Amino acid sequence: MAQAFSSRWTRLIAAAILAVPALGQAQGGATISGTVSERGSNTPLERAQVSIVGKANAVASDAKGGFTLRGVDAGTVTVRAQYIGYEAREQVVQVAANGTVRVNFALTRTAVTLSGVMVTATGEERRRSVGTAMATVDTAQIERSAATNTQQLLAGSTPGVTVLANGGQPGAGATVRLRGVNSVSMGNSPLIYVDGVRVYGGNTPTNVGGRQFSSPLNDIAAEDIDHIEIVKGPAATTLYGTEASGGVLQIFTKQGVEGAPRWNLSVTSGYNNMGHVGPASDTTGLYLNSCAGVHVMNDSARTRFVDASCPASGTWLSNGPIQRTAISVRGGSSNGTTYDLSVTGNNERGVLPVGGSYVRSFRVNLGFKPAKGFTISFNQSYVNNRAVGFPDGNSSNGVMLNISRGSGSNFKGPGCTDLTVTCVLNDSLFTSQVTNSTNHFVTGATLAYQPFDAWTTRLTLGLDYNNADIQYITPFGHLRVPLGQMYQTLWTRQFLSADLASTYRKQIATNWSSSTAVGGQVFENKVYSTDLQSDNFAGPGDPTLLSGALKQITGVTQQRVINAGYFAQETIGWRDVLFVTIGARADGNSAFGKSFGIQTYPKISASYVISDESFWPRRWIETLKLRGAIGDAGKAPGAFDAVRTWSPVAAEGGKPAFSTNQIGNPDLGPERTREIELGFDASALNGRVNLQYTHFDQHTYKALIPVQQAPSLGFAGSQLINVGDLMNSGHEVQLNLDVFRSRNLDVTTRIGYMQLHSEAGNVGGVPLTIFALGRTYVVQGLPIPTYYGPKVMNPNDFANPVIQQNQDLGSAFANRIWSPGISVKLFRSITVDAQGEWQLGGHNLNALAYQNANLNAWQPCFNAQDQMRKAAAGDSSGLATINALDRARCTINTKIARDYGFFVEANDFFKLRSVSVTYDLPKSILRFGARSGSLAFAGRNLFTSTNYSGTDPEVSDQRDDQFARRDYYVFPTSRSFTMTLRLGF
Amino acid sequence: MTTLRNFGRRSIGVAAVLCAACNLQVTNPGPIQDSQLNAVTAMPALVNGMSGDLSYALGNYVDRGGLASGEMTEAGNFSAEQQYWFGIIRPDDVNPDWAAMQQARWSAENGIARMQTVLGANFEKNVDTPRAYLYAGFANRLLGENVCTGVIDGGPAQSDTVYFVRAESLFTRAYTIATALANTNVANAALGGRASVRAWQGKWTDAVADAALVPNAFLYNAIFSTNSARENLDMAVQTISRREVTVFGTVYAGISKTDPRTPWDTVKVGTAIQTGQDGKTKFFQQKKYTSLGSPVPLVKGADMLLLRAEERLRANDLAGMTTLINSARATWTGLTALTAPTTAAAGWTMLQAERGSALWLEGRRLWDLRRWNAEGTNTFLTGRSKCVPVSTNERASNPNPMPAP
Repeated sequence: MAQAFSSRWTRLIAAAILAVPALGQAQGGATISGTVSERGSNTPLERAQVSIVGKANAVASDAKGGFTLRGVDAGTVTVRAQYIGYEAREQVVQVAANGTVRVNFALTRTAVTLSGVMVTATGEERRRSVGTAMATVDTAQIERSAATNTQQLLAGSTPGVTVLANGGQPGAGATVRLRGVNSVSMGNSPLIYVDGVRVYGGNTPTNVGGRQFSSPLNDIAAEDIDHIEIVKGPAATTLYGTEASGGVLQIFTKQGVEGAPRWNLSVTSGYNNMGHVGPASDTTGLYLNSCAGVHVMNDSARTRFVDASCPASGTWLSNGPIQRTAISVRGGSSNGTTYDLSVTGNNERGVLPVGGSYVRSFRVNLGFKPAKGFTISFNQSYVNNRAVGFPDGNSSNGVMLNISRGSGSNFKGPGCTDLTVTCVLNDSLFTSQVTNSTNHFVTGATLAYQPFDAWTTRLTLGLDYNNADIQYITPFGHLRVPLGQMYQTLWTRQFLSADLASTYRKQIATNWSSSTAVGGQVFENKVYSTDLQSDNFAGPGDPTLLSGALKQITGVTQQRVINAGYFAQETIGWRDVLFVTIGARADGNSAFGKSFGIQTYPKISASYVISDESFWPRRWIETLKLRGAIGDAGKAPGAFDAVRTWSPVAAEGGKPAFSTNQIGNPDLGPERTREIELGFDASALNGRVNLQYTHFDQHTYKALIPVQQAPSLGFAGSQLINVGDLMNSGHEVQLNLDVFRSRNLDVTTRIGYMQLHSEAGNVGGVPLTIFALGRTYVVQGLPIPTYYGPKVMNPNDFANPVIQQNQDLGSAFANRIWSPGISVKLFRSITVDAQGEWQLGGHNLNALAYQNANLNAWQPCFNAQDQMRKAAAGDSSGLATINALDRARCTINTKIARDYGFFVEANDFFKLRSVSVTYDLPKSILRFGARSGSLAFAGRNLFTSTNYSGTDPEVSDQRDDQFARRDYYVFPTSRSFTMTLRLGF
Repeated sequence: MTTLRNFGRRSIGVAAVLCAACNLQVTNPGPIQDSQLNAVTAMPALVNGMSGDLSYALGNYVDRGGLASGEMTEAGNFSAEQQYWFGIIRPDDVNPDWAAMQQARWSAENGIARMQTVLGANFEKNVDTPRAYLYAGFANRLLGENVCTGVIDGGPAQSDTVYFVRAESLFTRAYTIATALANTNVANAALGGRASVRAWQGKWTDAVADAALVPNAFLYNAIFSTNSARENLDMAVQTISRREVTVFGTVYAGISKTDPRTPWDTVKVGTAIQTGQDGKTKFFQQKKYTSLGSPVPLVKGADMLLLRAEERLRANDLAGMTTLINSARATWTGLTALTAPTTAAAGWTMLQAERGSALWLEGRRLWDLRRWNAEGTNTFLTGRSKCVPVSTNERASNPNPMPAP
């Protein structure tokens, strides 16, 4: 089936390719050709950008590093070659009319480069003039990470980026944060741009049964990504305006290059695998690793149980196969028409009897130069993703909830030969159907116009369309819900954007340059979502919503919000070493309250390339840029957050009725985050040592905080109010070392470090409840958010617990993250790469332990419970070895209030995110016309080290709350092993 | 410069076209803005909403009130419910109930004021007006019978009796207007409601007078439905869809399963009695509410008869009390008449047991136990929480000092 699918698309691609060259126009003028390679190894660099400085002429190098610039005006021109991860080079050449000149470039590898450009809100800005931190995930990082999606790519990629996998549900999206948290209520997800088109940065609704969401960010196949630019804080995102305080991710997909069609094929096979689940002392792995035979609960009656439906293998876990295929073709004609088309397919199964992810995508990127000074690019992509899961988390039918409870499973029934045991039938869990089916279409057109060298204007029109069909079906005949039940959410989100930016650069005096940018954006954000429920099916069969005797529409959302803004920015350069940039953005948002009109966000930044000064000792440190910036960005409240509303409900058996909804706040406005950022970028010893450091200090003013209203006022919920201050500061360090460079051995290491200090300022004098059952609050003086509640004050004493209320139980998020990595290249053909990540200082609420301790199914409590039972019977001798924390957590005295707070644990962890070994196949063994090839063996999440006693320190039930984190029977993430063959034709 | 000016003009032109194409209107159909309720046509739904809010508040509280007063045993994993069952009612755990009860009161009282404004002279002629007063009265009675402290509209703490005072007035208005509109059903319900809150204020003579006017077979329910989740009776959800609370371990498990007032049964898996959601407590399923849409009585003739019986007991008329109790029992099928007790203490035991059975799982028991405990005729609540304290959310958001829980 996959082959047939690929075949159809291959024919379509071929047809498209044949049609594309006819769209271009012939060009006259001179020709400049040559090659781009890595200095030292002479390895050709494919997709390096070669351009004429100040002109629109630009091409990308081919697989052999070759390039040809056509239509060059006669005269003296400067040719620049640049490639991410390398220091750009320029050469001045003289070209005659219709003449041909050859220029070769050898680029030096370096992690810190001040040449080239970054894409910002104003368009392209020279890296040396940018006053804020810049981070790029480059092609090499992408290929060695063995990642299949964007979120996996980002994990551990650069300091300041936090990615928390929320669960092991197939297709489950992760939580992404740039520089932590600066908003309590409006989300902290970064804005996402793909090839200049703003796309939806949030998630789909969560599945009622699966308890996880899908992330549209992951719809971009890793194979399609050329590089990712990460813009982390408000000082850098000011010109992106309202909604940008969470940072910006700029994703660039691969574009076509001039030349004959070049085909690339990538085939991956492998499997997902789950190791031991839960505490090491539990040899059954919460009955997931081992379900066979008679098990004994730790209650006083020593209840025995058998899972009669346990698979013959004796475990619920098995290896889930992975199969991925990616085909792409790129090329272009000499008249400036380029294309890059790709098709990907990804089938993988999870490690349980049901569950898998099935993704199909295609991408078409086209580029044209219809006339001198004009370039047009069209970027289209479509992804169909069907994630099949299982009930999980805080669901009565949940896999972890039932299997790990032993005899406390909700699924009991006949089938055991031994009638003295409690008989459970957990295979019934897997009859429920959990599916998230999504379609994601992004189309964008960018027109760049450069009428003369100094003036560049870019207009991007984009449409991002997501829809999701999210279903949770409990079939007729189900053991726990015999008549069956179906939940369905139909969700559509459409993001329409128009983005205009124009930049004028000129030399205003000797040593002084100016770059003036103006522009504006209009975004229309529409969401339509309907939640439906059907209960009590008439009989078996695949149900629809009509199958149930009882049908309900449980939720409808239809929103359209407009955000429009304009910006202006001026950069003054002095001797090309010192740059000062001032700018401002003015925004209007239809969700602002009556008292707020246009919001203005100012910024100022400076960069000083001190290493270009004559006095600088370049012998030791060849590159050093000092930078600093201060800027504002914001977050808008939601549509109608400002007004008092009532909900239309049913009452008295379906009669129309109103019920109070939201008390309203006419003074509501956006919250504003101001960030001060200072840092430097340095490169030394001929690019062997690269260091980037950034200190940032964010202060969110008038934070939008859901403040509980007095319930006696008739409105039960909270109301967003601009109250309080949030502080968020930290340090980011990225150190890249070329430990050893030689022809046959090349060792590079990298280490990223981020330290965060998050603190709630004045938030109204009382703890603000984020998620009470998750014991998660925002409390003045503590991190945002924090676990808060009753605490055992003498946890390690061998005594009865001393419990105090309203205590700081720890930050929900890590405040120190280390990201070490190493890459070793042997004999210019074998590359070994490993990437790890430590997250320290965070906590998670192990609600599985809380519940299972109560059910005598939590192995770490067994000894404590045994000793407490003996003590209750008069023998207290064993209590001497039971500390106060265990006495509180494992209590058998139902009169003692066990609390979730006792189960908040530090979740410090180290994870080996990826390990890969790539062998570049020698040309002598390549067949069928292949030009290049490689074979890669990779593993992800191979190793986890943590003292957290739950199943996975990263997981959290996303239907409970998406800001708070609670590990409530969430299935952990699995590891994967893959082998990938890449061939270029 | 010519090129620059031309390009500038083109840019402005493009921007103008783009903006002209923009509709800057935000839309969000669904939530209804407050001002949109100020219409005559909105009044029926407004009053239906009062009924819905009352049912929602009562339906959710019946579980926890039942646990706090020994009507049910906790058999699940909800920590708040466990605490109720232990007899510990904490401000942290009462947030949903406090909010729902207050919402029911506020929406009814605020709705009445809105109706007066919108309907003007037609206010008392509107068929929905007596219903609105009735729901406002029952919402106040629900608060008065269950919470420890009176708080009105974000104001200061008051005696919990404030709710009975307000309820009496509201029931009187409901009765007067319903009578004028010849709405006997609402008028009887108002009488029943007023009888109870008068009794709880010590106005037993007035209470008995009202109660005597309510027919023995009268029944006025809080309405629940399977139509939507919000209309479901939570007690049914927790005992039919789930197994969170059980009759096991209560005095009612010692009463015949077939007593029509307190029906229950075991649920078996094979030959074993099924356990509750906690996996260990025997699950005896209540059978009073057999559907997620089963109604919960707000006023019924048996309640009125037992109220009159209590008044007789307080007058030491044990024979009169027993007659009225037996009249109450006669409203069910299959219950035999009881013999009059010979002592007041035995009379209290009988009356309290009869009220317990007659009003089982109707959210009334905690109040009965509380007032009897205060008078020294019942000890169940001794050492246990006797009422619902001001919730944590109210304490955190109301600027006035609140009494310690």
